[in-house]
Amino acid sequence: MNGKEQLLFNIGVVDFTLVDLALFLDTHPTDRRALEYYRHYAQIKKQLCKEFSKKYYPLTMEEANCEKAWEWGAAPMPWEGGCE
Amino acid sequence: MQDYQDFSADVKLQEWPLAMAYVKWQHFDKVYDDLEKAYRSGTIFPDLNKPFTGRRCVQ
Amino acid sequence: MWSYEKRLQFPVKIKEPNAKLAQIIISQYGGPDGEMGASMRYLSQRYATPFREVAGVLTDIGTEELAHLEMVATIVHQLTRNLSMEEIERSGLDKYYVDHTLGIWPQAAGGVPFNACEFQSKGDIITDLSEDMAAEQKARTTYDNILRLITEPDVCEPIKFLREREIVHYQRFGEALRLTTDKLNEKNFYAFNPGFDKCESRNG
Repeated sequence: MNGKEQLLFNIGVVDFTLVDLALFLDTHPTDRRALEYYRHYAQIKKQLCKEFSKKYYPLTMEEANCEKAWEWGAAPMPWEGGCE
Repeated sequence: MQDYQDFSADVKLQEWPLAMAYVKWQHFDKVYDDLEKAYRSGTIFPDLNKPFTGRRCVQ
Repeated sequence: MWSYEKRLQFPVKIKEPNAKLAQIIISQYGGPDGEMGASMRYLSQRYATPFREVAGVLTDIGTEELAHLEMVATIVHQLTRNLSMEEIERSGLDKYYVDHTLGIWPQAAGGVPFNACEFQSKGDIITDLSEDMAAEQKARTTYDNILRLITEPDVCEPIKFLREREIVHYQRFGEALRLTTDKLNEKNFYAFNPGFDKCESRNG
């Protein structure tokens, strides 16, 4: 994996952790350990996404630069990977 | 806020009403230390990781 | 409302096209137990739930299923996009190609188009959650069936991920049902529909 793929993969790992924790919290809303884990990884995800959108392209519309051109539209679509 | 996880109730299985399905409450016990392994497995909770190993094995 | 993150929940990087596999895996896109049915089912059921926590579970799992829908479409797309006309003809994909070229269209492997008859939104929280638990098991079995047909690791990895998510979702819907029964009278969970009936008896 190159640098971009590795960072995107790491974002995937952390975001997935948050998703699995969020579903657990939906049915265990007062679980302190789960809440602590969630807060911890939410911070990490934020930093990783900021780093990615600065270095490569925006992952969300909010992160997209809209000064010179519509950066959001120019970013690759997620299904493009694979047999290239 | 109501504490939903009355785990003590889970031990009184015999007393539960008929004609209802019950799934055991999960406790926040173990989480994979290796988050990449968790990601590839499809869950951060080892207790929920149930891989498929079936094969038809009929000639 | 929804916002979009421009990445897949789990990577899909398939190097070898395979028309036969694509025709099978499309069932998890538009088939009876696929991700489109799952997301539409949960997102439709949430409006009539009387308990906010259950509406939360339905919303969050329904949203995750949309991400899975995207993954399945990506798998089918990557398995078909570099096929030659000979491969399209030989594999039987020609029947799909004539109507859709290599576009992604929601149907089952057998050709039945996706339709709302493939899920229910009954407006009764116990019934809906029971439907949801069954739906997750049906999806898991479909992934088991797919796994028996694949040897390629590129395809196996995202399919195994998707299959495991169904098992986790089953646990969550089961817990949502526990939350629900905890709020109802254990002498008779079925005395009334908590989302519809304002009072328990006709004389009340």
